[in-house]
Amino acid sequence: MTALYDELRPVSAEQHYRITHFLNYEYRLLDDERFDDWLALMHEDIHYWMPGIENRRRENLLEHGFYAADHMAFFDDRLRDLGRRVARFQQPSAWAENPATRNVHQLTNVEVYYGETDGEFIVYSTFQSVRSRGLDEEYVIYGRRQDLIVADGDRFKIKKRLILIPNATLTCKNINTFL
Amino acid sequence: MGNIIKTLDVTDSLTGLKDVCDLENGRIAGKIFYDQAIYEQELEKVFARCWLFVAHESQIPNTGDYITTTMGEDEVIVIRQKSGGIKVFLNACPHRGNKVCFAESGSTRGFICNYHGWSFNVEGNLVGQHESGVYEDSNFDKSKWGLKEVAKVDSYKGLVFATFDPEAPTLKEYLGPIAWYMDALFDNQEGGTEFVGGCIRSTYECNWKIAAENFVGDILHAGWTHDSAARAMLGGAVAKVSDFEESYSVNWNGHGYEFALDTVGNVAVLGESALNKYLHTIKPSVAERLGDFRSNMIGSVSSCTIFPNFSFLPGQNTVRVWQPRGPNKMELFTWVVVNKSAPEEVKEKWRKGAMMTFSPTGVFEMDDGENWEYCTKTAKGRVTAQQDLFVGLGMDSLLTETPLPGNVYEGQLNEANSRAFYQYWYDMLNSRSWSEVPNRNVGKPEAE
Ligand code: FES
Ligand SMILES: [Fe+2]
Repeated sequence: MTALYDELRPVSAEQHYRITHFLNYEYRLLDDERFDDWLALMHEDIHYWMPGIENRRRENLLEHGFYAADHMAFFDDRLRDLGRRVARFQQPSAWAENPATRNVHQLTNVEVYYGETDGEFIVYSTFQSVRSRGLDEEYVIYGRRQDLIVADGDRFKIKKRLILIPNATLTCKNINTFL
Repeated sequence: MGNIIKTLDVTDSLTGLKDVCDLENGRIAGKIFYDQAIYEQELEKVFARCWLFVAHESQIPNTGDYITTTMGEDEVIVIRQKSGGIKVFLNACPHRGNKVCFAESGSTRGFICNYHGWSFNVEGNLVGQHESGVYEDSNFDKSKWGLKEVAKVDSYKGLVFATFDPEAPTLKEYLGPIAWYMDALFDNQEGGTEFVGGCIRSTYECNWKIAAENFVGDILHAGWTHDSAARAMLGGAVAKVSDFEESYSVNWNGHGYEFALDTVGNVAVLGESALNKYLHTIKPSVAERLGDFRSNMIGSVSSCTIFPNFSFLPGQNTVRVWQPRGPNKMELFTWVVVNKSAPEEVKEKWRKGAMMTFSPTGVFEMDDGENWEYCTKTAKGRVTAQQDLFVGLGMDSLLTETPLPGNVYEGQLNEANSRAFYQYWYDMLNSRSWSEVPNRNVGKPEAE
């Protein structure tokens, strides 16, 4: 549910810049297949969640409208799970990753607010992930994201990520990337 | 009886099918994955005729609970009745054909069409219209214009199937002895099974048969295709199937179940020791319920397809339908099945484990998709589409002395189930009615 502007505490322009910069950096790591470096940006208690979207009538909505915590999901991961996904990408026998998938991740509409405790930031954004494989395959996934970012010294870690796509049917066969 | 569905007029069978589907010689050709004319015949002679999976009983427990799905490319509503039964209607308004239910699931007292306001109750009867007076002036007979009901609906151990063809055999006859093996997943504990909430759908540029065949009897691919996923989840390679002392491929009416007797080979790839432990804990009670033999199958290296497009993996507990969307397009609907009586933590681990392995983000499934898409796409070439493809493993492996029911073949690394799947598909395409479908079953129709 979108909080009204009065209830939100936007961060300074400088803090906004630092966090946006951090999230752009994170996406560039993914585009460069630097998965270990990417994984190192995750907080040890990371909850990386992309629920399945259900096309329901307004009078039959779920716990969170189109999705629910105990229903099926694309990702519902902790650090160990993300580590396993990364391990699969890195196997020489990941046949379907060779030739590599070429990725472009984009982040826009970034809003950064102070979280409940010191050093916590709530980030709303929209994203677009474009993947191409082979000579002519192209897959585009877009959606909204809500991140909980925590300060880690003079850097940041990602503690929660909620990924919401508008599609009730994924328009491609897989998501062989992170969003 | 205005709500009874019209059946299709049968068109002639295609000529030349034998050239691209010759199972006696262990050969098919890529044309069967890419040809538009073949696809049109499938919609009519396979999907408008066979029993198709539409829902699990647990998805619609109460009166008015519904889900929508497709039977072939036909959209349907599956809805629980006051009587406790289940009806399946075409999701198309009998006035101009508009879709009447746009949601994928929910609970309702009826459906009202958005176009001219015809309204239908849970039983599918037309109960009102916007400007109803004008219909009365035209001597309109409401009782003839309800939602069209499919010919038959029946269920097996919580799995609801439907068919458009009134002449189809009973579901029991259709499943035959494969039902006995299905109990290893769907009836291994008192109370039966339920689906986890939701349904994950994804889109493939592949023919539906290549996916259905993968689950009917292609464990051969697992050790190679899924090596990376196995190493990621288990820290090592998948179990070498050729090392199993005892394993089987069993088929009947084009359905196939291939399995080892290692109890936890499939569940192990979820990398959750609590699930292995759960299966070991229930195993003695399964043995009491189903006998020792099937208690070894509750999460073993195994897979099954019920012809034409319903598949599942015991252990990973993924259940799926490969929905045809054109000769080279498919939508995959997936669900997760769990024992109703399992502890909540166990159900939760299966919900996550099935996602981690067999879903669009699953580390196993990610490697399947590209293979299936390119088995389809290479057949775009007219010359390529006519070339023989080898489906000849285990030609002489039929077991004639076995006490097991069904057409039983020795070993899982065997293309007997794939051949039986394509043979049944061929037979359906060549038959003008159910009575013409040849009976090629040679094994015992029932367990002893
Ligand atoms: S199409 Fe449904 S009321 Fe006219
Ligand atoms: Fe596979």
